[in-house]
Amino acid sequence: MVTQEEIDSYINAIPPSPVTLKKVLACLREGELSKASQEAAEDPALKLYLQNIVNKPIYGFKNAIKDIGQIFGVLGLAQAEQIVYNYMISLLSPKKWELFTLNEKKFSDIQDSLGIHWKKILIHKGIEDKTIYSSISLLPASIIVCEALFKSNKENANLLKANKQIDYNTILQRLSGMSLFDLCSEIAKAWEMPEVISRVVLASSGKVEESDANIIELSKWMHLLFFYQLSQVVCIEAGLNDFIEFNIEYVQDIYDDFQDLIMDDN
Amino acid sequence: MRAVVKERIGVFHPQGFLDGTTAPALLTLEDIHATEALNIDMLLISLKKVVFFNKNGLHVFIQLLESLHKKSGIVVGLCDYDDKQFATIMKLYAHNLNFSLFRTYKIATLFSATMKEPKNKKSLLVWHEEPSQRSALAIELFDRGHTPIVCQSKGEFTEKKNQTELYEAIIYNTHIGLLGSKIATRVTGNAIIYTVGGFLDAEISSNFDFTYHANSLNVGFTLFIFDTYKVVSMNIHAVNFFSKLASSGAEYGANICIVGMTFEKTPVTFKNELEDAGLIFFENMDDILKDKELIKELGGSGGTSNTNKRALNKVLVNELPRFINATVNTMEMMTNTKAEKQDVKVQELKIDDTQGKLASSIGFYGNIDGLVILVFPLSIAKKSCELLLGEETEEIEDILDTLAEFVNIIAGRVKSLLAEQNVSVDITLPRTYENVDDLLSTVEGRKGVQVNLSFENEGFTFFLTR
Repeated sequence: MVTQEEIDSYINAIPPSPVTLKKVLACLREGELSKASQEAAEDPALKLYLQNIVNKPIYGFKNAIKDIGQIFGVLGLAQAEQIVYNYMISLLSPKKWELFTLNEKKFSDIQDSLGIHWKKILIHKGIEDKTIYSSISLLPASIIVCEALFKSNKENANLLKANKQIDYNTILQRLSGMSLFDLCSEIAKAWEMPEVISRVVLASSGKVEESDANIIELSKWMHLLFFYQLSQVVCIEAGLNDFIEFNIEYVQDIYDDFQDLIMDDN
Repeated sequence: MRAVVKERIGVFHPQGFLDGTTAPALLTLEDIHATEALNIDMLLISLKKVVFFNKNGLHVFIQLLESLHKKSGIVVGLCDYDDKQFATIMKLYAHNLNFSLFRTYKIATLFSATMKEPKNKKSLLVWHEEPSQRSALAIELFDRGHTPIVCQSKGEFTEKKNQTELYEAIIYNTHIGLLGSKIATRVTGNAIIYTVGGFLDAEISSNFDFTYHANSLNVGFTLFIFDTYKVVSMNIHAVNFFSKLASSGAEYGANICIVGMTFEKTPVTFKNELEDAGLIFFENMDDILKDKELIKELGGSGGTSNTNKRALNKVLVNELPRFINATVNTMEMMTNTKAEKQDVKVQELKIDDTQGKLASSIGFYGNIDGLVILVFPLSIAKKSCELLLGEETEEIEDILDTLAEFVNIIAGRVKSLLAEQNVSVDITLPRTYENVDDLLSTVEGRKGVQVNLSFENEGFTFFLTR
């Protein structure tokens, strides 16, 4: 099925993060919104991405915003950084999805939905750390990695799944000792993302030991949020509902809060 | 969504949040039909990974399940829920609970129409608030060869349930809805036991799974026991049914026994007629199952050679590459190692050293029919199982169970490869052998194609016969 060579070659093929994005992120981390918007405006693809994203109904802005400076302004530093990271991750997504029934728009909608809900969770928990805001951006990379590794093994995986309740992440882990989330960490490393992002996402698999109580807490919210998202029609139809295993026990103690905050609001 | 199908029980495993909007996307009529086509006795929806559900969401599932039951008589229900979820379901469906509720998947398997008995079975502790359900649970379990211990009060149950080591399973928060009309079938060692009851008439032919029986003969079962303790009487149609079954099994050397039948309300001439047809009558089940010599004589030791010596035919040989490819690809997938073909011979199955080896087999029937046998050295068997089990194991029972799944995967792959060539086949339940000598006796005299393969210098045998 998926061999170690395929995994190694996937890791080696992760492209370096584009120079413009590095500059934009550096400016955002420094709190220099106008400089960041100037840098972002230099990259037409990023500019178009930002313009398309913020004018989606999910962001709730009444008027269309086209100017990058304005876009960063209304988003604020933390969310701007998160969206730039979303853009980075989207660069890894395939032109044509084969394993999952997705396309560029649907994948982007998943990223946005996760980002908006994550923001709500962090506000609820009183967390303002920009890096934590951005950590949600790495999570959908697990979908991209899964697509890349299993698209040519779809038939084998389906055969296995028809006989045993087993998800892609578990198959990969049993075959190689590496999970989809480990591979997300490799992406984070290659793109010089702050370490805490990898740790939150790794712990959000619900299968990795983490010693930091704050990260554990956040990872529980992230795990439950991911499954909330994977239970939405767009994800179910894409075949994502069971691509990783939901660890109910892991999120038991935060479930009621989650229900009050996210579900009752929708 | 795809169901996981094992031992004729299909289970859907939705995850996360379930409401009226998401449920129709999670489970569709097409999903149900695709699973039904896999020849199942029971279809369940597991709530193990469902953190939230509401009435609208659940109702979508229940409607689909109930329509399936109405159409085909397949037992339907929910499983793998916690106490809180059970209480909610009972509240939502208090007056309209036609489907079954099984607290765990394992409990559901105990109620399946077709099941394999565990080797060291213990009794089952049963509790339900309603006396009628308590009785229904006990009767159904008893019919399937289990030993239920029914608690008569909540206090008694609370006291007994702590002694978990005494019971195979503790059955509570479980509700029997509308069950199927299929004759309960269980596999005990190498004997197949059918449980029938009431008045046996022409209906017995509709409720009996002839395909399953024929496949059991094909894969080497030769001892079939009808548990008739609960039969009140039978008419001539039932006599004809048994006679026909006995004559069709004769070419396989099969023995059909009837246990516990009384002839108070049935003419004794029927008994004579059935004995003439070759059926053997016993008063008690233990008269057979506890008599090792008799079991061996009747073919229930697994070592009886049968008279099925049908030759390989051209059609089957033409499809051989597909069978081998499916096996090799699956082995490579499961072990993540490369296979090397050593030799291919048309011969009777020949295994030089049977010690330390395990085997599994699966039959297929339809446009073509035959039997695939795989013989594994223990080390390869263990490695093949790691992907499915997720860990190394030394437990032979676990390895054999996983080998059954493994051979099922291969058969599934063959089935889809053949379907591409417009060759339609169905597959039987897999069978496993801890003792390869038993397997050799079962297929003695049958020629087939034997392919010896090597995985990391360990030998592995594939054998295809009819």
